[in-house]
Amino acid sequence: MSFHKDHWLLFSVTCFGFVGLSLIIGILPAKWVQDNAVPLPGMQPLTALEKQGLGVYVGEGCVACHTQQVRPLEMDAAFGRPSVPGDYAYVTPLGPWAPYAPAVLGSQRTGPDLTNAGRRQPSEVWQYLHLYDPRAVVPDSVMPAYPWLFDVVASAPEGATVVPVPAPYAPAEGVVVPNERGEALVAYLLSLKQAPLEAGDEHATAAGGSAANGADGLGAHAGGTR
Amino acid sequence: MAHGTPVLSLKRPLTVSKARVEPVADSDRAWARLVYAYAASAATWLVFGTLVGLYISFKFAAPDIEHVPWLSYGRLRPVHTNSVFWGWGTLALLAGALYVVPRTSHRRLHSYGLAWVSLGLIDLAVVVGDVLLMAGINNGGQEYREFVWPVQAVFAAGVVLLAYNLARTIAGRGIEEIYISNWYIMGGFLWTIPLVVFAYLPFYQQNAIAETVVQGYYMHMGVGMWFTPIALGLTYYSLPKLLNKPIYSYSLGVLAFWTQMLFYTMIGAHHFIFAPTPWWIQTVAVIFSVGMVITLAAGTGNFLLTMRGSGRAIARSYSLPFILAGTVSYFLFSAQGSLEALRSLQGVWHFTNYTVGHSHLTMYGFVTLLVWGSLYGLLPRLTGREPPQLWVGVHFWFAVVGLALYGGALSVGGTLQGLSWMSGVPFIESVKQMASFWLWRAVGGTLMFLSHLVFAYNVWRMRPAAVAAGEARADVALEEAAA
Repeated sequence: MSFHKDHWLLFSVTCFGFVGLSLIIGILPAKWVQDNAVPLPGMQPLTALEKQGLGVYVGEGCVACHTQQVRPLEMDAAFGRPSVPGDYAYVTPLGPWAPYAPAVLGSQRTGPDLTNAGRRQPSEVWQYLHLYDPRAVVPDSVMPAYPWLFDVVASAPEGATVVPVPAPYAPAEGVVVPNERGEALVAYLLSLKQAPLEAGDEHATAAGGSAANGADGLGAHAGGTR
Repeated sequence: MAHGTPVLSLKRPLTVSKARVEPVADSDRAWARLVYAYAASAATWLVFGTLVGLYISFKFAAPDIEHVPWLSYGRLRPVHTNSVFWGWGTLALLAGALYVVPRTSHRRLHSYGLAWVSLGLIDLAVVVGDVLLMAGINNGGQEYREFVWPVQAVFAAGVVLLAYNLARTIAGRGIEEIYISNWYIMGGFLWTIPLVVFAYLPFYQQNAIAETVVQGYYMHMGVGMWFTPIALGLTYYSLPKLLNKPIYSYSLGVLAFWTQMLFYTMIGAHHFIFAPTPWWIQTVAVIFSVGMVITLAAGTGNFLLTMRGSGRAIARSYSLPFILAGTVSYFLFSAQGSLEALRSLQGVWHFTNYTVGHSHLTMYGFVTLLVWGSLYGLLPRLTGREPPQLWVGVHFWFAVVGLALYGGALSVGGTLQGLSWMSGVPFIESVKQMASFWLWRAVGGTLMFLSHLVFAYNVWRMRPAAVAAGEARADVALEEAAA
């Protein structure tokens, strides 16, 4: 018996060794985290419109440039308190074509973290303007404009929000109103607010569900800031 | 056989003539067509995928260049990454594997028909996946698994069929020993197939933190358990073959193989250091990231010691410089990856463009350069046609200089980005100070893209000759440096 000569031995050890390691480091931890994730007290599930907005957020690839995770580091304090597993308990799959929770945590900050976007910029009008043309409100922004989340109409229909686009950025004629996807995305962005996390509260500390998860999630943050 | 001399002359003031390949005597035309189809398909994806990448790099300087939803940055970014991963990198490595596995197994490929089906499935998956991404339909925004599951299932079917095809070829080999190249190549398949299955099963990914645990596991292994082992497997064949001497140490290759599996599998969570995922998987990831230095030293040491004393042969070859540069990149930039995993350095570099620079220095500087070396070294032996030497040289220098500009700009810029965040100035300052670095990135990217056009032309020049030089000789009488 030798790996050099017995191909089935070589192939089996290679494949099943990897499967075993995968269970230890990937699959079982994921299952365990999932089973122990409970929402923080005071968190609301996403409304139907906000959930649709999450779909727009994911489909347009916003996650390519924006994170939604605050690390227990001083430089992240501007974005909120350190994130805990419970913060994401309501980020759930979008549908049969994407039966996984969307990857909102992100990996790049070409733009700022959006964990508390709804708290930082609570104005619906600001959010619409910014999506219609980011440079209308942040001159140095390199974010893409999303005019396809809006309609340009002769006059705004009943109940529609007119986006007050300043002259250099406005269309030559008509007024700008958000379409359904635009409204959904802004509803989602405005819903991005961290729930309070009372210090010393036993339940809040165990945000991930069990005390053990709390240690790995929250307690770990104390370790991380050392 | 050698045309000209390897010295500068008045007639050729800037270039030297490189060694030519021995006339091909053992070519099998069906085999040549198959391998060439994979290589040509790969080259097409490289040109397309990097055109997309180059275009979106311009958007950092001109975000309002157009407002077409299908061409917006957020949708095109995964088109770029998936096209170069699953279109270019995958098919180029498989072209090499389809040459190396039968060669080192001393027999014909198990089934040419099945291999053509695999190529069709993989191409189809990347085409449909890209179109859906541009339409705004993806799997939930996870890097490198943005294709929705039906598309990825087609891709996986192609890969599984090819794994079967190659495994049967190795199982029916004409020699007793399984050459080390085949360990790495089959390792790539036997690690990546379970990886893709685990990544696409939904049962343990129903909330964002659980999904993030799987994402760290997947995105890391998608790179390092697929591209890395197959690129190394090809090099374990090409390098000794092109130098016409045996590999320095077989045992170092075996050591690197098993440590690749044991260490690399454990380190995916270092992509989410400080995230609210379980702290212990992050710590395990940091520890094994440092452990990867063993794998790296064994792998690159083996290649460099094989090259030792063969400087002249490398200088005389048009394919070996790619392998030398790829080996050096493998060591430098994978070691960079180990350093990046350390929490103190993650504090500065995480979320910055430094990581984008790192992924290009590795996937391009390491994997892509090694693949080019193998394709330039091996394809002419199969098709009977060599690429024009001048244009191979142009390809090499444009690619290497372009990558140096690209990686340099994002490494420096990304570090400044992290320092800007740490200093507590408003976020937009970090965007403003990146402007010049993004410009240099686009300049480097332009050189890289031009080199890909040259490469595509060179691939065309290596197309199989209308009539092969000799009849099929599957028993492979050529001397095997490896055997």
